[in-house]
Amino acid sequence: MKSVLHRMLFCGLAVSMTWIAAAAEKTYTLAVIPKGTTHEFWKTIHAGAVKAQRELAEKGVTVELIWKGPLREDDRDQQIQVVETFMTRRVDGIVLAPLDSQALVTPVVNATKAGVPVVVFDSDLKSDKQVSFVATDNYKGGVLAAEHLAKLLGEKGKVILLRLAVGSASTEAREAGFLDTLKTKYPGIKIISSDQHGGATRETAYQASQNLLNRFGREVNGIFCPNESTAIGMTKALRDIGRAGGKVKMIGFDSGTQSVLDLKNGDLQGLVVQNPMLMGYLGVMTMVKHLQGQPVEKRVDTGVVLVTSENLAETKIKELLRPPVEQYLN
Amino acid sequence: MASGKSRISTVISFLGPLLGLAFVMGVFISNPEVRPYFLSGANFKIVFTQTVIVAVCALGMTLIIVGGGIDLSLGSVVALTSVVGATLLAKAVSPVWVVVLTIGAGALIGLLNGVTIAAFRLLPFIVTLGMMGVARGLAKWLAHDQTVIYPETPLNNLMKPDMRPEAPDALFPLPPGVWIALALALLMTVVMRRTVFGRYIFAIGANETASRFSGIRVQRHKAIIYTVAGMFFGLGGLMQMSRLTQGDPSVAIGLELDVIAAVVIGGASLNGGSGSIFGSMIGALMMAVLRNGSQQSGWPTYFQEIIIGIVIILAVGIDKLRHGRAKS
Repeated sequence: MKSVLHRMLFCGLAVSMTWIAAAAEKTYTLAVIPKGTTHEFWKTIHAGAVKAQRELAEKGVTVELIWKGPLREDDRDQQIQVVETFMTRRVDGIVLAPLDSQALVTPVVNATKAGVPVVVFDSDLKSDKQVSFVATDNYKGGVLAAEHLAKLLGEKGKVILLRLAVGSASTEAREAGFLDTLKTKYPGIKIISSDQHGGATRETAYQASQNLLNRFGREVNGIFCPNESTAIGMTKALRDIGRAGGKVKMIGFDSGTQSVLDLKNGDLQGLVVQNPMLMGYLGVMTMVKHLQGQPVEKRVDTGVVLVTSENLAETKIKELLRPPVEQYLN
Repeated sequence: MASGKSRISTVISFLGPLLGLAFVMGVFISNPEVRPYFLSGANFKIVFTQTVIVAVCALGMTLIIVGGGIDLSLGSVVALTSVVGATLLAKAVSPVWVVVLTIGAGALIGLLNGVTIAAFRLLPFIVTLGMMGVARGLAKWLAHDQTVIYPETPLNNLMKPDMRPEAPDALFPLPPGVWIALALALLMTVVMRRTVFGRYIFAIGANETASRFSGIRVQRHKAIIYTVAGMFFGLGGLMQMSRLTQGDPSVAIGLELDVIAAVVIGGASLNGGSGSIFGSMIGALMMAVLRNGSQQSGWPTYFQEIIIGIVIILAVGIDKLRHGRAKS
């Protein structure tokens, strides 16, 4: 028993020594923890993180990136485990997109206490211990969607909001921005459903959409879906019942390959697009800045843009929709 | 003679899971890049903490599996009881009552399972599969399809692996949940090995008909087994709540499979009649060590899933070989 304890102590010492040595050589090991790994959105964030890594390398700052999602996507407990394990692995910093604004508070506070700083990105956390929060102004994204939908509908009609999941701060902010704007600015628009959730995958979102359209498909005029999987699932369900292509005005969020295709085909009338590439990039950059002892902003906004069939051809929009992911990931 | 033989087989069934755990740890320790992180006190603190929920649930599941049954509703019951606990806390019920009522809610579901299985002579697989849906639905209903947030409570410290800034690599203090799980494991080992109830469970699992003929009230004991197991699942739910600091109706999906895997890795047979609390605890620990070590080693997530799957099959395969030899 005693020897085990000794060994543990020794190892602890060895770890802290390598850690100090690493800091001196300006090699930073960063763990980047997304909510999941299969969505294109997260791949683009990954590309942005790699972009930051390459730019830093040119300046002589070596960053080792560990990209690690939870074992089961959408499982809060699993993401806590990932954070905890990186904490004891003594990475120099953790860049985290929390699956839940509440459940991830304890592990983040713990990591900070153990000397591993955390930058939160994409979704907010109910804590003030994180170094910085790097994300889209999601509420603004919801407002953009509501205004565009109201314009398309002539400020009257029946509207459905298919939510993503409970506890996901980023989508809840979009949903709130959307609902608040419709309620206060457009009294002619009636919200006929806003309490259904699409769940984690395209499949669950597709099923939820089918169920919703089964009930409201004939009367609905406009729909807003607050992320990639719900938008794809809903558009698919609309096509199934022959109401796609503009009969029902459909606004989505985020720019996956399928969503962009849907927009070009006219099945989507608008897409609120964030800048995931910039989010991954600024997430890593903010952490490195902090590790180098420079002051960082507590809140870093990465911007939202409304994409429609009209502005689709603009170069800036094109680059947003087709971020050069291949350039950074193999 | 017979008792000597059974003692040897007991020793072997003790050693089996332990050797498995040693092997898995050996794999990670042998990698010089991983070793310093993997062998730190802080890492074991979090591995133990991550094991607690599976371990506590495995205590209940071991009773059920040794008794020849199975419970697929475990994950849903954990979610439901985590929501029950959070809802009570949100209504400002005192923590002591929250503990009692949450564990009671687990026991109630267990009682329902057990009575249905016993009274109608139904297959546990089907009954608990049904309960899996019922309990999950109840959890979502009770939680209004949201996570249930409650004000800060001492119960949150149950599963908090508190890091000390001055000694971030220390093993201690371990969160109370770890000690509770350890104490309960000791208690259940005594119950399983030294009490009449414990021996009846083995007897029922090994041969239900023979047990009935020898005067054991099999159906009544089945109901008790599921109820006691339900209490452990309720405690698991309480710990899950404490870990997430909220009640989450969508948590622990598929947890029953992790727990069953832990019990089986620990040497239990799904045919009933064999298994041990010690083995199940080692099984639970092994799964957590595997996850932790794979991540420390930087293995991709899909690779981890494959490895864990293979380990489960290997564990059962080796166990089968051992039993086959023992019989011949």
